Amino acid sequence: MKKMAFITIFILILVTSLVKNSTKEMEDKIFVLNENIRSLKLELGDIILEFNYLSSPDKLTQYQYQFFEKNLTKIDITRIKKITEKNNLIKISDLIKKSNGE
Amino acid sequence: MSDKKNNVILEEYENEFSYKKSKTNLNIEFNRIAFIFFVFLVISIIYSIQLLHLGSLKPEKNIKPVITKKNYRADIVDRNGNYLVKTVSSIDVGINPIEVIDKKKLLINLQLIFPNKNYTNISKKIKKNKFFYLEKKISADNYEKIMLLGDKSIKSEEKLTRIYPQKNLFSHIIGQIDDDNQGISGIEKSFDERLKKINEPLQLTVDTDIQFLIREQLVKFQSTFRSKGSAAILMNVNNGEIISMVSYPDFDLNKRDTISDLNFVNRATKGVYELGSVFKTFTVAAGLDEGLIETDTEFLNLEKRLKCGKNTINEYDKKIPSDLTVEQILIRSGNIGSVRIGQKLGIDKLKSFLEKIGILKKIDFDIDEVGDPISFRWGKCKLATISFGHGITTTPLQLAKGYAIITNGGFEIEPSLIKKHLENNQKQKRIIKEGVSKKINLILRKIVTTKEGTAEFANIEGYEVGGKTGTAEKTIVGGYTNKAKINTFVSVFPTSKPTYVMVVLLDEPKTSPDYIYKYKNKEGYYKGTPFNTAGWTSVEVAGKIIERIGPILATKYMEN
Repeated sequence: MKKMAFITIFILILVTSLVKNSTKEMEDKIFVLNENIRSLKLELGDIILEFNYLSSPDKLTQYQYQFFEKNLTKIDITRIKKITEKNNLIKISDLIKKSNGE
Repeated sequence: MSDKKNNVILEEYENEFSYKKSKTNLNIEFNRIAFIFFVFLVISIIYSIQLLHLGSLKPEKNIKPVITKKNYRADIVDRNGNYLVKTVSSIDVGINPIEVIDKKKLLINLQLIFPNKNYTNISKKIKKNKFFYLEKKISADNYEKIMLLGDKSIKSEEKLTRIYPQKNLFSHIIGQIDDDNQGISGIEKSFDERLKKINEPLQLTVDTDIQFLIREQLVKFQSTFRSKGSAAILMNVNNGEIISMVSYPDFDLNKRDTISDLNFVNRATKGVYELGSVFKTFTVAAGLDEGLIETDTEFLNLEKRLKCGKNTINEYDKKIPSDLTVEQILIRSGNIGSVRIGQKLGIDKLKSFLEKIGILKKIDFDIDEVGDPISFRWGKCKLATISFGHGITTTPLQLAKGYAIITNGGFEIEPSLIKKHLENNQKQKRIIKEGVSKKINLILRKIVTTKEGTAEFANIEGYEVGGKTGTAEKTIVGGYTNKAKINTFVSVFPTSKPTYVMVVLLDEPKTSPDYIYKYKNKEGYYKGTPFNTAGWTSVEVAGKIIERIGPILATKYMEN
């Protein structure tokens, strides 16, 4: 009975310490990953900011004047078509449905 | 005898006691082990339960970390996630001359890192023994190099800077902050606490591309009509989301200028104007809502001129017929006809309707720069003038809200700049009778499509644009001036299923040689009359805007 009790306690202590140790290792890994993610997030934010600035409508208009000879033309909405695929069949229809008398 | 007997009893008792003591000792020994075992067992069970509990916990998704970092300010993004404002950290590097050990060595090292600096000046500054900044907003490479020198006199200071990649585009919406990280206008002011505390970008309802295209047209026509300023609001009629809100002139937020010129006021929300005939739609809608009129109700023998107290109410269109239906009154923008509808309604009903759609009182909005409509006393003459949009003021934002309600089926909406991500936020409370919107939308469409209408320039193919014009003379001390006008055009599209309302306002537009009404005179020669009414100015601007933003709205925000 005594032996059993001691063995049980010993096993419990061993398991607990093993679990605790592995938890600590995991916590360390999570901390390192979080830190890496944090710096990557900062880097990503800066890159997105740069992208937003370079692809802003204002900049794109500047590039257009700089690199293209022709001006951009407006799109006639009635000429835009919609492609839909159903049962391997491709259907092309008008984007805007003209109402009566229009 | 009795003594002897007593002794025997005592001995017997002693023996018994001795036996019992020995038995008790054994018990204590056994119980102690059992007790220790029990305590360990309990501790182990508690510990195991705790471990199991921690293991079964799922990370909470909605926890928003609270940042206590000094000078922290969250970013602001548009509805597509594009940055409108971003906080970036920058490092300033300075030198504390008191801590310099080897001045020569330091200067040589600095020369290697920053070869273009004036080292005579730096040397003089070091001699003064006062801290000075060597390089502000230093690059990451140079920062690493300078810190590797390991000189104690080199001090670095982390600072946060607000960057506005869209420059002027959202200046009136976003607003400014002061040097102490306090919002002083726009979203920066009204959401100051939220921006400082929550580590998540604030998403607005605005669309950068649409905002750019609308602003581009306002800037273009500012030079055509030489107006003092202009404003435009594009709003979803079903949920009140503002897709674009421009007020021109605007300013570059990156420059952090102090704006004191009143012309830079946010005309879309802060400007309070008499907007003229755009109010006639409200008079007609109120009549339809009360069931007092129908679109084909006739008003006969309408005068061309009406006296009310000291004031005279005239028709703008001298050729307007004397007998008109309600629909014709609105299409031809009849003043006297609108007065008659207003009189049929009476003060209480018209007032209650205007209150219901949020025209008369200050609107509760996402930014603090909101105008307060000028209060007035209702009377018979006031009722007459209000019926055709004079003697009553409001903001373009409230005008957009009013039109959204009367065209969306009669549902209450609240204009908003903050994206709420609520799908069920649409069409909640009906405040206008069913069917009113359908009748109003048909008339608004006819104003744009028919010859008698006043908004032909906005008839852009494919978008079913409907709308109402308003030309109002500006008030001066003691009355009105015909030299300064406020021209407004409220458009709704597509009228078969209203989705967007757009208000375009031009402040004091002038006539332009490009916009001349040409006609044949009696001698058969062509003559030209330049006009600067809303039909010739704000309608043209709105038409050009819809032409450009229409394809984006139709494809990007298309509902299947």
